[in-house]
Amino acid sequence: MRATDVFGYSFSAIKLRKLRAGLTTLGVVIGIAAIVALLSITQGLQNTIAMQLEQGLATDTVVVTPGRSILSGAGGQGAGIGATIGGDTSGFKLFINDTATVNAASTEIEDSIAIIQRVIYVHSENRTFAINVNGVDFAKYAEFYGSTFVAESGSISLKPENDTVVIGRRLHDPWKNGTLLFNVNDAIDITWANATARPPKNETYTGYVAAVLKEVGGFSFGGPSDTGVYIPLSQAQAFFGTDECSMMIVKLKSSDKTTIESVSEAIEDAFNGEVSVISSTAVLDILSSVFSVISLFLVGIAAISLLVAGIGIMNIMIVSLIERTREIGILKALGMKSRTVLMIFLSESVIIGLIGAVLGTVLGWGLANAVAVVLSGGGLFQNIGSAQPATRIQSGLMTITPVLTPTVLAGALIFGIGVSVIFALYPAWRASKLKPVEALRYE
Amino acid sequence: MAPVVEAVDLKKTYLLGKVPVDALRGVNLKVESGEFLAILGPSGSGKSTLLNLIGALDKPTAGTLLIGGVDISKLNDSQLADLRRRIGFVFQFFNLIPRFTALGNVELSMSIADVNRAERKRRAEELLETVGLKDRMNHKPAELSGGQQQRVAIARALANNPKFLLLDEPTGNIDSKTAREIMTLIKRLNEEKGVTIIMVTHDQHLAREAKRVVQVFDGVISSDMVN
Repeated sequence: MRATDVFGYSFSAIKLRKLRAGLTTLGVVIGIAAIVALLSITQGLQNTIAMQLEQGLATDTVVVTPGRSILSGAGGQGAGIGATIGGDTSGFKLFINDTATVNAASTEIEDSIAIIQRVIYVHSENRTFAINVNGVDFAKYAEFYGSTFVAESGSISLKPENDTVVIGRRLHDPWKNGTLLFNVNDAIDITWANATARPPKNETYTGYVAAVLKEVGGFSFGGPSDTGVYIPLSQAQAFFGTDECSMMIVKLKSSDKTTIESVSEAIEDAFNGEVSVISSTAVLDILSSVFSVISLFLVGIAAISLLVAGIGIMNIMIVSLIERTREIGILKALGMKSRTVLMIFLSESVIIGLIGAVLGTVLGWGLANAVAVVLSGGGLFQNIGSAQPATRIQSGLMTITPVLTPTVLAGALIFGIGVSVIFALYPAWRASKLKPVEALRYE
Repeated sequence: MAPVVEAVDLKKTYLLGKVPVDALRGVNLKVESGEFLAILGPSGSGKSTLLNLIGALDKPTAGTLLIGGVDISKLNDSQLADLRRRIGFVFQFFNLIPRFTALGNVELSMSIADVNRAERKRRAEELLETVGLKDRMNHKPAELSGGQQQRVAIARALANNPKFLLLDEPTGNIDSKTAREIMTLIKRLNEEKGVTIIMVTHDQHLAREAKRVVQVFDGVISSDMVN
C-alpha cells in the first residue's frame, strides 16, 4: 500500500471518531502548549535580564572583591558575589591604593577605581531607608560609566565638595507617582551604624543632593544603580574612617573573553589569589546556566502532561484496535500485510501528534504572549529592575518578549509526534499481529 | 496449467483449550481453472476450516495445499498476504468497510495491491457496473440493501483479477429473491467471464447451482459429484 493511501486510510478512521480523536489531540495540544509557553517565556525573561545586565554593567569591566574564590575556576565566577555578600572571610583586605597593584597586573588594564561601600540610613520625614552608599572618585566613575553616571537633574561635579551627594532615581521618586523623596539641593542626613566604635554608635553627617541620576534600569554590579547613593571617595574615607575598599572596578582595553580571562587571572595572581575577580560575562554565564536549569525543570513538569497525553493516545488506540479487530481481519483477508496494518495505526498517531503539536505550538505561543502582556502591564516585576508601566523612560522596564527559537519549534513538533508514535507502538504492534481468521470471527 | 487449488492429504488440528480437535483429517481435492465448485457440509463438518485454508488465511497442520501451484505452508506471513490479493474472498456478512462508499470499498482492495489511483477508479467503476450497481456507486454500505452489499463484496473480490472467487455462504444473510439474483450473477461470472468459483455452503439447494459438488463430512470428503 502506498504511503499516501496509508495516510488517507488513517485519516478516514480518525474522521470517523471526531470527538474521541479531538479529545486525544487536546491532550497533546495542552502538553505542547505548556512546553512552548514555558520555554518561550523563560527564554524571553532570560534575554530581558541579560539585556538589562549588559546595560547595567559595562562588558569591558571586571569587579575585584577581597576574598578567595569559592569556586576555583577561570575568573572565579560566582565567588565574587558570595564574598561581597558574606564579607571578607579570609581576613584579607583590599585597600584604596591597591589600585596601583591592579593597574600593574596586566597591560590590558586601562585603569581601575576603588569603591568604599557601606549600608547607611537616610531619613525623610518619619521614614528611614537602608541604602548602599558608594564612595567613589566622581571623575573616574563618570569616565567608567559615561552612559549611566549621568545627572537627570542637578549636576555632577568632577571635583565635588565633601558634602556632595548624588542619588539614584529611586531615592528621588520611589513610588513613581510624583511624590518626591529627595530633590536636588535638598539636605540629606546620612547615618552610619559604626559597629567598630566602642561602644557602637550612630554617626551622621548632612550632605546636599547635587544631582539625581537618570534612570539606569536593570541590574548594576559595581556600576551606578537606581537605588544607590554616591559620595566622594575622600568623604567616605573620612566618614567611615577607613582606607579599606569594598571592591574595585577595573576597566579593560578590550571586552573579548580571552582578555577578560587573562586579566582576571593576572589580578588574582597579583594578590596571591586573595581576591575574586568577576566579570559581567561571567555573571551572564551563571545567569544563563541558572536559566537553563530552571527551564529544564519547567519543561520537565510540562513534559509530564505530554506523558499523560501519550497514555491517553495508547488507551484510545487500544480501544480503537479492539473495535476494529474485524476491520483488520477484512484488510488482512484482502491481502494487507502486517507491516501495513502497523503503519496505518502509527500514521493515525502521527496525524494526532502533528495536529496536536501544531495547535499546541500556536496556543503556547499565544499563551506566552498573553502572560508577557499581563506581566508587563500588571507590573508584577516592578521591584526588579524598576518597572514603570506608566512612564517608560528607556529600556528600564521589565518587558518580556517571548522568544520562540527554531529549536523550540522543531523540538515541539518532534516531541509531540514522537510521544504520540511511541505510545501508539504497542497498540499498532498488537493490531499488526492479529490473525486474520480470529480477527474475522470477532464480533 | 497447474490446478487452481490442489490439496493432498490435508490435515488441520485445532487446540480447543487443551483438547486437540481434528477439523480436517486428510482432504484430497483438485480444482481446475474455470470450475464452479460447491463445498457442501453441515456445521462442524470442517468446511469452514477448509475455506480458511484455501483462502490462505490459515496454514495446514499436515499435508500439502497448493494454490496456483504454490505450497502455502512454505510461505511466510508477507507472502501469504501477497497470495491473498489473488484470491477473491466473499463473506457471508459482506464485510464491507462501513465508512467507505461502494466505490471506495472496491478501490480499497486495489490500493492494498498498490494499483494507482486512476486505474483503481476506472476498474472499480467497471466492476460495479458488471455487478449491476452503476447507480449506487457513491452510497455507503448502510445505504445499500443486503443484496447490493453482497454485489459490492463480489466486485471487491474481483478487483485484483483473482485466480478464483472464494464464497462463504454468499446468500446466507439475504432474502431468497435477492439470493437468486446473486446466484445468477455468480453463475454468469463463471459462464461468461470464466471466473473459477469455489463456494462453501450448508445449503443443498444452493449447492445444486454449482457444476460440481464436494461434500465434506467429519473432516473428510465424503462425496465428489458433478451436477
